[in-house]
Amino acid sequence: MFGSLDIATSGMIANRVRMDAISANIAGKDVILNDRGEYEPFRRRMVTLTAGDPSQGSPLGVHVASIELDHGDPLLKYEPGSPYADASGYVGYPNINPVVEQMNAMEAARSYEANIMAAEATKSMISVALQLLA
Amino acid sequence: MTDPLGLISRIAPAPAAATAALRAGPADGPGFKAFLQEQIDKVNQLQTDAQTAAEDLMTGQRNDFESVIVATQKADLAFKALMQVRNKMMDAYEEVKQMRV
Repeated sequence: MFGSLDIATSGMIANRVRMDAISANIAGKDVILNDRGEYEPFRRRMVTLTAGDPSQGSPLGVHVASIELDHGDPLLKYEPGSPYADASGYVGYPNINPVVEQMNAMEAARSYEANIMAAEATKSMISVALQLLA
Repeated sequence: MTDPLGLISRIAPAPAAATAALRAGPADGPGFKAFLQEQIDKVNQLQTDAQTAAEDLMTGQRNDFESVIVATQKADLAFKALMQVRNKMMDAYEEVKQMRV
């Protein structure tokens, strides 16, 4: 009876996790140290989604399969005065484009809204069906 | 037939023998009272689930507030449906009460 509500909820949760990853990417745009204070440019987080399959035991809807790290090359900036500069004076920064992240954030927000609309539509369908009985 | 959501098999029409049995009424199946009691228990379970989910959210034991909101909505809809059944039964009772003998 509540199948489509559960599917819409799974979509909302998946898009919230996507938004979390995008926020982390935007916030970590200039991070070049890891949590132990060693030089290690922040790697872009990418959320991969998978569809649920009831015949395989996972519930209907969409689920976060994994959060992958972007293993691309860091963005090199010429900062010879930096203590983290390499032999030729370059410091590697995370290869994160804020414009791309903004677009991804907009997409995640719109997908979230679409799932909310699907849940609302399901809810009003059930409510209208109840009026048959009244 | 492709069925990626796995929904079609569940709503497939029942075989003719099953529908005939349903129409005739099972001889020793659960009565209306038992069926109603079962449904009331299900509604109660949804209410309890919603309450537990809300408490867990408030106390920080879970952070998927979407699930909590949807659980609340499910409990609300299920209770509305139960109320409609109750109203219908009360109408029928009033109807019988008014009947002249």
